[in-house]
Amino acid sequence: MAANNWSHRIRMAVDIGGTFTDFQVFNESNGTLHELKTPTTPADPAVGLVTGLNLAADRYGFDLSEVALLLHGTTIATNAVLERNFPDCALITTDGFEDVLEIGRHMRKDVYGLYAEDRVLLVPRTLRFGLRERVDSSGRVLVPIDREQAKCLATEVENSGVKAVAICLLNAFMNPVHETAIRELLLEAAPDLDVSVSTDISPEIREYERTSTTVLNALLMPVVRGYVERLEARLGETGTEPRVLLIQSNGGMSTPGVAAQQPARLLLSGPCGGAIAAEHLSQVLSFENLVAVDMGGTSFDISLVHQGRAAMVTEGEIDGCPVRLPMVDIRTIGAGGGSIARVDDSGRLRVGPESAGADPGPACYGHGGTLATVSDANLTLGRLLPAAFLGGALALDRDAAQRVIARSVGDPLRLSVEDAAEGMVGIANANMANAMRLSLFEKGFDPADFALVAFGGAGGLHAVALAEELGMNRIVFPRAAGTLSAYGMLWTDILHQAAQSRILEALPQSLGTLQGIAQSLLSEGRAALDADGIEQDLWDLTLSADMRYVGQGYELTVPWDGLSVDEDVLNVAVADFHAAHRARFLHADPSEPVEIVTLRVAARGRLERPDMVQDLVPASNAKSLRHEIYANGAWHEVDMLRRSDLRPGSPLKGPLLITEEFTTILLLSNWRVEMHPTGNLIAERA
Amino acid sequence: MRNAVDPVQLEIIRNALVAAAEEMSIAVYRAGRSNAIREMLDFSTAVFDTDGRNIAQAARIPMHLNTMAPCLETILRDFIPADEWEEGDVVVTNDPYCGGSHLPDILTFQAVFVDGKRVGFTGAMCHHSDIGGPAPGSYNTSATEIYAEGLRIPPLKIKARGELNTDVLALLLQNVRERTMFRGDLMAQIAALEIGGGHVLRLGDKYGFATLTQASSQILDQSETAVRRTIESVPDGEYAFEDFVDDDGISDDPIRIAVQLTVSGDRVLVDFAGTSSQVAGPVNCTLNVAKCAVYYAVIAGLGGEFQANSGCYAPIEVIAPEGSVVNAQAPAPVVNRIAVGHRVVNVILGALSQARPDHIPSAYYGVSYLYALQAAEGDDKGPVYLDSIVGGWGAEPSRDGASSFSCGLHNLASIPIEMVEDRHPIVFTKYALRPNSGGAGKFRGGLGMIREWRLESDSGVFAANFDRFRHPPFGLHGGEPGSVGRLTLSRDGQTQALGSKVSGVALRRGDVITVETSGGGGFGNPNERHPEAIQLDLDTGYVTRAATERDETR
Repeated sequence: MAANNWSHRIRMAVDIGGTFTDFQVFNESNGTLHELKTPTTPADPAVGLVTGLNLAADRYGFDLSEVALLLHGTTIATNAVLERNFPDCALITTDGFEDVLEIGRHMRKDVYGLYAEDRVLLVPRTLRFGLRERVDSSGRVLVPIDREQAKCLATEVENSGVKAVAICLLNAFMNPVHETAIRELLLEAAPDLDVSVSTDISPEIREYERTSTTVLNALLMPVVRGYVERLEARLGETGTEPRVLLIQSNGGMSTPGVAAQQPARLLLSGPCGGAIAAEHLSQVLSFENLVAVDMGGTSFDISLVHQGRAAMVTEGEIDGCPVRLPMVDIRTIGAGGGSIARVDDSGRLRVGPESAGADPGPACYGHGGTLATVSDANLTLGRLLPAAFLGGALALDRDAAQRVIARSVGDPLRLSVEDAAEGMVGIANANMANAMRLSLFEKGFDPADFALVAFGGAGGLHAVALAEELGMNRIVFPRAAGTLSAYGMLWTDILHQAAQSRILEALPQSLGTLQGIAQSLLSEGRAALDADGIEQDLWDLTLSADMRYVGQGYELTVPWDGLSVDEDVLNVAVADFHAAHRARFLHADPSEPVEIVTLRVAARGRLERPDMVQDLVPASNAKSLRHEIYANGAWHEVDMLRRSDLRPGSPLKGPLLITEEFTTILLLSNWRVEMHPTGNLIAERA
Repeated sequence: MRNAVDPVQLEIIRNALVAAAEEMSIAVYRAGRSNAIREMLDFSTAVFDTDGRNIAQAARIPMHLNTMAPCLETILRDFIPADEWEEGDVVVTNDPYCGGSHLPDILTFQAVFVDGKRVGFTGAMCHHSDIGGPAPGSYNTSATEIYAEGLRIPPLKIKARGELNTDVLALLLQNVRERTMFRGDLMAQIAALEIGGGHVLRLGDKYGFATLTQASSQILDQSETAVRRTIESVPDGEYAFEDFVDDDGISDDPIRIAVQLTVSGDRVLVDFAGTSSQVAGPVNCTLNVAKCAVYYAVIAGLGGEFQANSGCYAPIEVIAPEGSVVNAQAPAPVVNRIAVGHRVVNVILGALSQARPDHIPSAYYGVSYLYALQAAEGDDKGPVYLDSIVGGWGAEPSRDGASSFSCGLHNLASIPIEMVEDRHPIVFTKYALRPNSGGAGKFRGGLGMIREWRLESDSGVFAANFDRFRHPPFGLHGGEPGSVGRLTLSRDGQTQALGSKVSGVALRRGDVITVETSGGGGFGNPNERHPEAIQLDLDTGYVTRAATERDETR
């Protein structure tokens, strides 16, 4: 199939979550956009995906063969790790360093814990093999590979019966010769093995983080390849052959082939659709700086858009295991509709981080939940509507909510059920605001320079309180708040990121080496885009470098100007480094020598951006009902409207409750809200 | 008595104060320079009330956390009374005999003012890579007086009314080896104080300072109540335990740490009668440091759900004979005070295990394996390489101990081998779990580790502050002790055992240093160990067949 032969007209984004599979269906021929949810099918998520495709085709009147592009977010890799659901994997390390993976960085999180916290061990000691070899920190070979020992080792690995092998040797990022040699020997012995090599997936300094990333990648190779094959088979059965792209943790797309080779890049992609949507909103609304918060049932995810770009980090972790790959920076705390409130022995009222989850869920779900949750509190306060939850799919039990709140919180603290509920919400809000403040503070940002984007099932109810707590004056309630991650995927590109560590002083004498590395990374990027079938005029390559003061233990990623590496560019990069260092770490010393630790290339293959039209049906009578909510210790009657009845150009004043299919927005009295022509609601402090 | 702050507001204020401490922590990390801060995270931050009591802290290193409040209280009582603190003043000290811990740990405090009135303090404590003295890294194991451990800073105002005292700073910088880093780290911890103070002011604006003050006292009361409730659940009685620190590095005499723990009602009395007198070498603890270890051990050993702050300390009374290793008097050297500190934790948990036999794990490795190297090429001395590694946890009542994981007073991240090799002329030859080092038992103690490297420069000077080379971490309920630690120097094919506490060891090119750390004690009778667990130990090599056979023939 020709890569850009997207003459078909339907572009779909599908985000498979734990409970629901969210769809955004974009019709390129008329610019309309629809959303849809189907239940997730955990045993084979491709089944739920296909169900949704059929449903969408029926509902919006197109043929499945017209689907040109399927942009797909999947937690298949994430879940495999969380559930340890993968085949055995072997690890080959430098002899004498087989335990690096098990020892880790040996720092505990639970300072006063009497018992050790659980640590995940991805490869047991019996499957870790030491190869006699050594490369030093300058890349010089100290101990060459002994081919006989290496061959024996390859045979041992083969005999262990594993399906996947990770190779991570000390200082290999400086010189991959031994990693390459042992990979070749392995593949000679067992051509069907999935082999993940540290210099391919994470050629950067720090052996534990590199090993962990390489191992995760190896473990996931069979998992993701299997999933991609199943997905393509299922799609084939429906007679559709869209181009499928998978979203990575860095917010860019990859082809299924690349994803199967580098599945670790999918690991933290779950929440990043929201951040990418916020990046898109930043562009269409011309708001440079946004804090995006996704509040669902169990977790509260915070991401930042600064000067129009989603903030990225070069490392994250899953279940305590480091994943050292570029990814959207997301801070997660345990706060959501399901967060449990309780009074402890010393009389403290605590809210979260434990959650009632989806099953049994909050008491008000009527599924046997007996603990008081934030959703129960919102229902008690009149902020959630018993009959309108999840588009009416679940009737909420207000009596049950009040009973558990009285028992767990009200009675022990001698508070009325309303005051107890309002207290629970207040504490949850304060916890979320604290986390947001830390996210901003660690980057040196001031909340007042940011607008808030609130989404997820519970985001709309808490947004105003969060904005007020942080001194923010503007809130965006995006359209499609319930399927925003899928919406974000519509606006992505194909993205390959490659990196190479090499510690070099940022001086002219390093230019030769730097040029060599840059050229090789750029060729790698171009080759990857070429293999994806992206036409050259849609290529967009950028260079950046992780830089630090000589001897410093940490780096800052500094974007480089253009793709050439010469003295001028180097000087600009060094100057940019000092400036970035001052902004981020409060001090800089231009007289101190600077070194480059890692060079990075981002190779972007731009996907055509659809033009969207606002599908405005004439307003059916914008009916506002009166509704009672509890706030600041008293009941108040407020207006209640449906979001679908709102139109641009008529601002509304709080207090106000705005309902939509998958969420509710609460606006307090000192706020007003107006619909933007794009369909997003923008609230401002009056 | 003012009106009590309602439970909702109280919880919000409590969490906001913890967030203030977290924010300070981020500030130190952001501006810090050294590996000690950036890789090992060897720093802590906290918010205090007007009496110097710790209300909220950024949880990181137990040894720091419970040191800061007693230090501030000492400064306020004996050196700089509260009414002499002015707006913009920053008080600094590292002096163990003025409330500090040991000289490399520098504490900084600043008062938070509202309308000219003090409403509290913020504090930050950082381990600095070097504070002068004869040993690179300032771990001089041969010190017999504190004067040989580096530069002492009595409590003084390094900033007065916002003005940095550059004379004092110049004096400090003149006396340390890693001047740029030292300055960067010190400035980071000073800057953090202002940031924490700003956060407290924001809370004051929002809730009013009367409310904030009242909330602080309720927060302390709640923690105190929670600790008292938990103590009540421990059977009343007297529980005695003792253990030993190998030696002080000067003589070979073992140092006894004896404790009698009396639980009565909601109080615990910790009496160190029978503990050795202070020693010539630098393993002594000041009373503040000993208390810090006691608080840590009791809080952890009770296993309750406490917000750690000064309120937790009130139900715990400590009696330590003056002039003993747990209440050393000037000018006793203290740089390796954590050797005794760890043992205090071991004996308190050992005593508590008599009261709570089903809860308390066996002894953990019980020493911060801290070593320092300064390599040189000709006369050209390189930067100081300071590392701190760990051993095995004691076996738990229903689970094997964790292997090579920070425990007890110790909680530091390792430095990546590749980062060390990039900066220092050494090549690591092994970094691995140490087989057979966990004490046998129904549940096995966690394994210690082996860290081994070779010097690749002309010369080097090496120092180590270890322990548990002669007195292994104990097992409980029939479990065997973990193995002792070991330090060797291999040169020209000859291997020589070094003592646990050495400094000024001259190394030359090709020398190999091998550190083997202690494992944790076992729990329960080894004969009751499940056969599958035994088999798994053999398959993985955590235990070798040879070691099993040795045990059987014994």
